[in-house]
Amino acid sequence: MKMGEIRDKVRGKFAGKPAKEGTVKIGSKRSLKKVASDFWYGKPHEERRLGDLYIGDTGLYKHREWRGVVDTMYYFNMIWLYNYAHMVTDIMKYGGGPKGVINFAKGTWRYRWMGQTYLTVMHWFDRGLEGMRGPILRGSAWHYRGMVSETIRQFQEMFACDKKLHGGIESEQWKHNIAHNETVSGSIFYGFHDVLEDIPLEMIPYFVTCHVNNHTVLHYIDAAQSIGLPSDPCPMCQAEYGIFVLDDYPDFAPTMITSNEACDGSVATSVLQDWFLNRPLFAMPQPMRYDDPLVQKHCQKEIEECWKFIEKQYGVKFDWDMYCKYAEEQNKLTAFEHEKWDVAANTPYYPINGVAQALYRIYYSQDGNRPIWHEIDEYVRKIMNKTVRNQIVTLPKTRHRVIAWSCAPLYYSNWCTWAYNCWGLNCVINMDSLMFDQFLRTDTYEHALEDLSWYNEKAPMRAMAVGGHEHILSLWDYMEKFNCDMVVMYDQLQCKGMQGIHGVFEDEFRKRDIHAIWVPHALPDKRTVSRKEIRKIINDYMITVMREEPLDPTLLDFEDDSSW
Amino acid sequence: MKNIILKLIGILGLIYAGLFVIFFFDLDGKFLYYVFEPFMVKHYDKMERKDNTATPYDMKEDVMK
Repeated sequence: MKMGEIRDKVRGKFAGKPAKEGTVKIGSKRSLKKVASDFWYGKPHEERRLGDLYIGDTGLYKHREWRGVVDTMYYFNMIWLYNYAHMVTDIMKYGGGPKGVINFAKGTWRYRWMGQTYLTVMHWFDRGLEGMRGPILRGSAWHYRGMVSETIRQFQEMFACDKKLHGGIESEQWKHNIAHNETVSGSIFYGFHDVLEDIPLEMIPYFVTCHVNNHTVLHYIDAAQSIGLPSDPCPMCQAEYGIFVLDDYPDFAPTMITSNEACDGSVATSVLQDWFLNRPLFAMPQPMRYDDPLVQKHCQKEIEECWKFIEKQYGVKFDWDMYCKYAEEQNKLTAFEHEKWDVAANTPYYPINGVAQALYRIYYSQDGNRPIWHEIDEYVRKIMNKTVRNQIVTLPKTRHRVIAWSCAPLYYSNWCTWAYNCWGLNCVINMDSLMFDQFLRTDTYEHALEDLSWYNEKAPMRAMAVGGHEHILSLWDYMEKFNCDMVVMYDQLQCKGMQGIHGVFEDEFRKRDIHAIWVPHALPDKRTVSRKEIRKIINDYMITVMREEPLDPTLLDFEDDSSW
Repeated sequence: MKNIILKLIGILGLIYAGLFVIFFFDLDGKFLYYVFEPFMVKHYDKMERKDNTATPYDMKEDVMK
């Protein structure tokens, strides 16, 4: 290879394209001033050309974005370095010291979902935080930090007792763990919280992986279909049992609490898990049409039956005081969420971007009360108070306030970051954030059970998506509450529940004269509708219907099929 | 003593600058994408796995006993 070719190759990998000529004369006073200003403050939104930073379809950067001195150094010190360093300390902290590092290494070597996925986590930050500046960069990054820390806690807890990593030994802790389906909320276990450890089985091996590195999940989907299971049910359910088909689940608990999640597709998950796990399993179905008072009674009974199952299997008693303590802690998280919604709905000063809002909310409300969520909320509260006090507009190029409705594409949860950078679409709130909106009363046992039952019924994909048309059509109320003028309507192609109501929405959008963009996807499977196709759909709508110009034209059309 | 402190500051400064270069040019991402992930994928692909589908349908038992 000639020197020139080597130089070009290196430039192609590491350097951005040279600035367009003809705008500012090089060496002139104005150009120096402009260069100094761009260096210090970062380029204005319209000049950033973020699409030029990507290397081919890999999603890697020739170089990470220069956001101005303050924000670049914040990103480097307080996001990149801070998170890499804290990942190491979290691995030690949650793994019980240096032996945690050994368990982590063993788990990384044993499980594809671990080794292939989670080490790429800083790119997850990059994708979600592209183009962000000031308080919204900081607030959103803290949300990511919370999710990373809790993810590490969960896999370290699993690895510490995993029979597959420890020669089949059933440790004392193994005997005190409860495995449960990822949509069975952590709040169900508050009455046992100090004596038993509840860990959702699929949340880390499946759900979080799709957001961080969407390559991994495809193996599990294919594995499910390889044993003859149909390919048209929800690919989330397919991935969840694919983990079992490939024997890629950690064996960290003697029992399993499972659920039908949100749809009948996942009934198969529960049945197959029962077969593969071969251990005591309690199936706690969540009702679909949950407004019926008789359904309430049934759901409460199911929760009590679940508690009895735990008492029988582990020989421990449900502790009412313990339940109250953690339910009240969780109420503090819900109260702060309401404060955040208030700022998001009524001001332009909200320091959390669309993807951080969506992922953090669904993660902690599903996971249940943990110290890390309180810690993160305190950081975010300070940032939010300051932003509101100083009236800092966090997304100043907002052209439309968007509400995203129905279930989101897991492999492209950061579409809203792209949509803001390219089109000024500010995704203020999304449906998943609005679920689990339930305080847990602790004044009487009856009230507690009633509220817990409601909480369980307001689980992801249930509260609105399959809870009945009166719930799914609450979109109009939320649009008004959050002052939104546009809807991004997710169209999960393999969700039989939501597909059934497609036409109703079409009619209502027309009748109400609402700008709505339908975004088809297949939840975790990027092969059905690629990210590029999703962008094209939004681009087409913005150009042909809205007649708008992109803020950053380099983001209109780029390849990222092979990216994480 | 002063020399040692200056040396230490110099070394830490170099490490900090080196980390910034890794950060700015996304060298961590490039390493993980081009080297680490393909290596791990090969490892997982050839890993021997238990055939869970061979689990008999009727072997359900209470493992806590």
